[in-house]
Amino acid sequence: MAAPAHGRIIGGLGSPHAPSIGAAYNGGRHLTPSWKPLFDGYWPMQAWLEKKKPDLLIVVANDHANTFFFDRYPTFALSVAAEHEIADEGWGKWPLPPIPGNSEFAWQLAHSLVDQEFDIAVCQEMPLDHGFLTPLSCFFPPERRWAVPVLPVCVNVLQPPIPSAQRCFALGRAIRRAVEAYPKKLDVVIAGTGGLSHQLSGERYGFNDTAWDNEFLDLIETDPERIARMTHQEFMTRGGADSVEEIMWLVMRGALSPKVRRVHRNYYLPMVTGFAQVIFEDLAAEAHGEATARAAA
Amino acid sequence: MDSKANKDGGARPAWETGVEKLPIRSRLIDFAQPLPGTYLTTGSRAQRGYRLSKFCMAFMKPANRDAFKTDPERFMSEFDLSDYEKDLIRTENFNAMVRYGVNAFMIFKVANMLGINQNQTGAKMRLQSYEEFLATRNTKDAL
Repeated sequence: MAAPAHGRIIGGLGSPHAPSIGAAYNGGRHLTPSWKPLFDGYWPMQAWLEKKKPDLLIVVANDHANTFFFDRYPTFALSVAAEHEIADEGWGKWPLPPIPGNSEFAWQLAHSLVDQEFDIAVCQEMPLDHGFLTPLSCFFPPERRWAVPVLPVCVNVLQPPIPSAQRCFALGRAIRRAVEAYPKKLDVVIAGTGGLSHQLSGERYGFNDTAWDNEFLDLIETDPERIARMTHQEFMTRGGADSVEEIMWLVMRGALSPKVRRVHRNYYLPMVTGFAQVIFEDLAAEAHGEATARAAA
Repeated sequence: MDSKANKDGGARPAWETGVEKLPIRSRLIDFAQPLPGTYLTTGSRAQRGYRLSKFCMAFMKPANRDAFKTDPERFMSEFDLSDYEKDLIRTENFNAMVRYGVNAFMIFKVANMLGINQNQTGAKMRLQSYEEFLATRNTKDAL
């Protein structure tokens, strides 16, 4: 089908964003027995992105005290920068080229979101940390960096009050409306990052629940509204304190059609985090096409 | 390390030994029923840990990393850390650092300066040896 002369969401990706993953890939350790099952989940994503050739990748991730600090900490923030620097998290910058943005659409998205009562912070500089750099490193083979401009969206999951799961799902819907209202051809893929079960502090460091992780993967695909009704207390009880970042998968899912076609799913728990990858294809255009065909028949 | 007593035998502060309940009411998080072994960075805890958190952020600059490696005591004094805060670093007491109010992602920055990786830091938060921690994992070298 020819791409229409307006924006559309063509699919969603789910990916972990742990720094160990990006470091393993960029350091060439990704084929070791302990890492291979995880990276086998990235090759289909690289192939899918190369086939779909999106014009823009909206990546939803959280800062880890590298882009922002607690002197001022935004609940939601997006970048309008033309280019994004690599953050030095405390052990030197990863050897990656700066990441291109799409300022024109990013400003439009900021206005569209605030028009819809989402009062998001707008950033003209946003050094990116592993929350973005791990998924982006793994979405493209090194020779294709960076084949697609990136629009980073940050969600506070570090310092409560953290936005509710429902609010994140609604943010995804608002992003979809903004994309669809954009009066130029723009094929958008949106990525939700983080999780799944993990806890990185306190005596409960290392908490996991694989059964819950798999239930989450079922529900995010088929019944995301049920996930959106969960409180942070429920996320933290079932998946560990830091699994609350799964609310960022809801931003991705909220931006997609109610029904999606899952074309990829992988899960692997090597050490402290249940890592999951998915590809969901948007079905709205297809549903519209079917309706048109029926009307014509 | 004995987390119950100072080197001089003095009592440890309440947040290190007890269950601290923050006086916050939210429909999203039940602060009256904290999950065991879990210390969310918010409220008075976040403010108590703010100065030490800010200190950890300094290591994003290579010059500060060099200065700490050259003379950690001097570097800590330049940041006006309290004796208690300096001692948390000297004794690598990451369990107390979390309880004090420093977010894990700040702690990993100072731990790295002490030559301690994330999972070794986590083992210390669990009050375990690294070997004990690794025995609970599916793989030991996905690092």
